[in-house]
Amino acid sequence: MGKPTKIKKGEAFQFVRRDFLKLLSFAGLSTLLPGRVFAKDDWRNDKNIPKQYIQNRDLPDFHIRSANPFMGVDMNAWGLAVGGMVKNPIGFSYEDLFGMKMFTQISRLKCVECWSAKAEWQGFQFSELVGKVQPDPAAKFVYIQSADSYYESFAIEELLRPRVLFVLRMNGKSLSKDHGYPLRLIAPFKYGYKNIKYITSIKFMDTRKRNYWANSGPYSVDGTIQPGIDHPLDYNKKPLPINGGEVFHFFDQRDAGLNRSAPKKNSTP
Amino acid sequence: MLDRKLNVFAPFTLTLFCCFLFACDSYEVRQIKVDVPADVQVPDGMVYIPAGDFIMGHKEEPRTRLGETVSSHAYLIDRYEVSHEQYKKFRAEHSYHSKSAAYPVTHVSFSESLDYCKSYGKRLPTEIEWEKAARGTDGRKWPWRVFFGHPNNGFSGFISEPVGKRTEWISPYGVYGMGHNVWEWIGEGYTYSGQPENERDRFKIIRGGLLQTHITIKFSPAYFRNWMTPESKLNFIGFRCAKDVGKMGE
Repeated sequence: MGKPTKIKKGEAFQFVRRDFLKLLSFAGLSTLLPGRVFAKDDWRNDKNIPKQYIQNRDLPDFHIRSANPFMGVDMNAWGLAVGGMVKNPIGFSYEDLFGMKMFTQISRLKCVECWSAKAEWQGFQFSELVGKVQPDPAAKFVYIQSADSYYESFAIEELLRPRVLFVLRMNGKSLSKDHGYPLRLIAPFKYGYKNIKYITSIKFMDTRKRNYWANSGPYSVDGTIQPGIDHPLDYNKKPLPINGGEVFHFFDQRDAGLNRSAPKKNSTP
Repeated sequence: MLDRKLNVFAPFTLTLFCCFLFACDSYEVRQIKVDVPADVQVPDGMVYIPAGDFIMGHKEEPRTRLGETVSSHAYLIDRYEVSHEQYKKFRAEHSYHSKSAAYPVTHVSFSESLDYCKSYGKRLPTEIEWEKAARGTDGRKWPWRVFFGHPNNGFSGFISEPVGKRTEWISPYGVYGMGHNVWEWIGEGYTYSGQPENERDRFKIIRGGLLQTHITIKFSPAYFRNWMTPESKLNFIGFRCAKDVGKMGE
């Protein structure tokens, strides 16, 4: 296998006949191979999603939602890039994130489809990340991207609220692929679609960008949970009134607030 | 023969058509005639609500006053919810999009709302004051009395409107935005009969606003009581102020 050709600055790219024939023969052969040999980037409008892909599943304890089904994150290629309008742009490895101060909370994820589900989440607070990268005072918003082509935006102030976590662990275990491994957001006062999974980058900005669902349907960029009705999965989906913001039902423990856990440096998730 | 029949019915049909046209015109809320006492000065932007009885709560809503007749003193209440433009005069660092000046200020906590009102010699309304200003005296379910569905635009989120936009949804005392725009902080804690011990002194009352499930949006009845932790700053909560009568200039 030859080395990739580097094109020198100012040198014109020449497409020789031999290259053309190679490309043509490869393209011809490729039509004989089964479709699954090649990665497909977008399954959003395809009903034949392979079983092993992360996709919408109505599991009884916690429904799974996936905007763009995929196989999950390749950890050999994964890193978290934090940059934009900051003094110190930083790239984090998965292990780096476990050096952050860990917090544990029980909170409910409320889907805009009306159901909600509860879990114990463990992760770090945005304030620690802010302290490390030192955003420009003019930066008021962040834009977050994920490994499955999803994206979200928030006001920085919203992410600095005490019950917002960048989550690494769920119910005492590392996040599963279904729930956003290796890194997801939990902002309990926002609808589930704001709680982005498979995070790959966080960019500080002075203007607000739109989010995936606001660009795809009648969903608000803000995504704050409105007063209305919830159908909690842990209450047989029976309707219960909610006052808006983070959802607590009469059987939820409001006082199970934010607990600081010991830093778990080098702990294996 | 047919022509004669048409001629006979023509004026009647025309009258019916005109009635139909007028009926389709914008709905107007019949206003309660209020005589403001000569010695009472009503500041700009406030409405005088006279003393007297009104129907509070609803019999099918156990956490309300169950439709009892309740007496109120006379008081003043802001005609509109506090706007971004007004709030910025109080808090210079408050920022908003230039197109949103006339929209209700949101993301304000209970104490921030109270501080604003105090700075103008006002306070947050009590629950009795808010509900009477919204419902008038006849026990109506919505400030504008007549039921109609919310013009849901199929949007799963909250969009506020300029505080003085909806003249067709004013209350019988001419107060705007009491059943369709933002929820509003009330200057009282949320209590009800049988409230669990761990909930007491934990929430403040919020009133007005919309109830929403997925893309279904409904007006909340004027007697509906919602609750919120006082430190909450959310996109659907704003406020208006109230004031005792006769304290202007004191």
